[in-house]
Amino acid sequence: MVEWIAFVQVAVATIIAAVVIAGLYGLGVRLQAVAEDEGRSRSLVRAGSWLCFGLCGVGVLFGIALIVPQLQPLLGL
Amino acid sequence: MDPLLLVVIVIALALFFDFTNGFHDTANAMATPIATGAIKPKAAVALAAVLNLVGAFLSTEVAKTVSSGIIKEGAGGLSITPDVILAGLMGAVLWNLLTWLYGLPSSSSHALFGGLIGAAVVGAGFGAVNYLTLVDKVLLPALAAPLIAGVAAYLATKLAYWITKRPSGTASPKRGGFRIGQIFSSSLVALAHGTNDAQKTMGIITLVLIAAGVQAPGSGPELWVIAACALAIAAGTYTGGWRIIRTIGTGLTDVKPAQGFAAEVSTASAILASSHLGFALSTTQVASGSVIGSGLGRKGAGVRWRTAGKIATGWLFTLPASAIVGAVAAALTHLGLVGVVALVVLGLAAIITVFVVSQRNAVGHHNAISDVEASGQAVHIPTKKERRSAARKAREAAAKAAKEARKARQAADAAAKHAKTLAASEMRAARRASDLEAAARVRFRSGSDAAGAEPPVKDPSAKSESSASSEKEH
Repeated sequence: MVEWIAFVQVAVATIIAAVVIAGLYGLGVRLQAVAEDEGRSRSLVRAGSWLCFGLCGVGVLFGIALIVPQLQPLLGL
Repeated sequence: MDPLLLVVIVIALALFFDFTNGFHDTANAMATPIATGAIKPKAAVALAAVLNLVGAFLSTEVAKTVSSGIIKEGAGGLSITPDVILAGLMGAVLWNLLTWLYGLPSSSSHALFGGLIGAAVVGAGFGAVNYLTLVDKVLLPALAAPLIAGVAAYLATKLAYWITKRPSGTASPKRGGFRIGQIFSSSLVALAHGTNDAQKTMGIITLVLIAAGVQAPGSGPELWVIAACALAIAAGTYTGGWRIIRTIGTGLTDVKPAQGFAAEVSTASAILASSHLGFALSTTQVASGSVIGSGLGRKGAGVRWRTAGKIATGWLFTLPASAIVGAVAAALTHLGLVGVVALVVLGLAAIITVFVVSQRNAVGHHNAISDVEASGQAVHIPTKKERRSAARKAREAAAKAAKEARKARQAADAAAKHAKTLAASEMRAARRASDLEAAARVRFRSGSDAAGAEPPVKDPSAKSESSASSEKEH
């Protein structure tokens, strides 16, 4: 009774979560640099980068909600 | 022997196991942020300790069984008595200390399973072990954990570097910015560790108390048990298994901020996914796999496979080695009070021996990760990119200087040529004038008219004046 389905689920969830968060944070870092370029609407790019960091923050909050049993009703799990 | 004495001994050993669990696993969360300089070593272990403490208090559901079904309990198997738990804990504690001495990360729960298996085999024979569950709960996850975390970390690292790469000439992204992210990602791992691992010890102590008839069956852990476990794991975490931090932080690969962030995010994702989707993975194995994967993902990082091999060998021996210790311990407990006393004395002696040996080359927060990183930040060693751009600038400047020099030389040549022609024409004019003068003189002497010779003498001087001014212009 090897739990192959659970294995695949965990693998896929791990990879997607890691790639999405690392990609978002990386995009935030990149947009910070793009904002330094000339001839760009600086504040718009800045806002984009902070949006990326904010989404990462949401990811962290989701992680905390998963860890803390008392918060799990919030997720509807 | 007095059952209460045994209970006290087991609780003390369980709390010590919790402590070793803490300092064994500090590295899982904090090795990479310490290695990249995201958090100062002491601050990192303090943060991890606080999060473990908080996490331990947050966890409510404790394990109903100590062995998670690996040992057949009850009829036809073995009843998990305090003796068995004592033997199992002894195996786990000694293996944890030994691997710490060699700086090897290894799973504390696997060590505990090993100890319990050894004790069960001595108590009820090889039939007491559920081998299918063993494969399912220990062996497969041990292969899957580094694989899943490694692939995730590899992809995340690749993406993080690809997305922060920009063509030269544009403002380059500051990958050091990943350090701030590292604080959050590693904190998440530490918090998850607190909720998971302190819970195990709480479960053990609660089961022992129930078995001894001190606590009602089916009830949850007492508040003092929760507090004691939380404090033990936090204290262990704060002590920081610096040897293991060194192995994970610098031994496997050189970790850079973006890479460390990717590794930690993969670790956190794998732990959370595994604990919520029902495929339990060991935090230690996940963390090691992540660091290796991130090392493969960053160009030029390279993985030291020798260290990785040593760690894998450690995992291979975790179960058998702690099983042997557990078996010996169980055999001793079967001798009654004398055996238990002998076991405690031997255990303490082993613990002290490991500690004394470790003092020969003590590893602490000051030397776990060499200061090269910090001093590098102080003197600013230029990165490859900076070196390249500096070289390019120097090349451009040299080319510009050479061009200017050539221009100047050409100008000087032209000026010299011009001056030469001017001088030659002047000379010619002067010679002509002197010829004319001589001719005039000859004519004068021969009595001819002198007024005709006057204008040709005046002409060359005017010409030389104009040539001087034209030369100045050059």
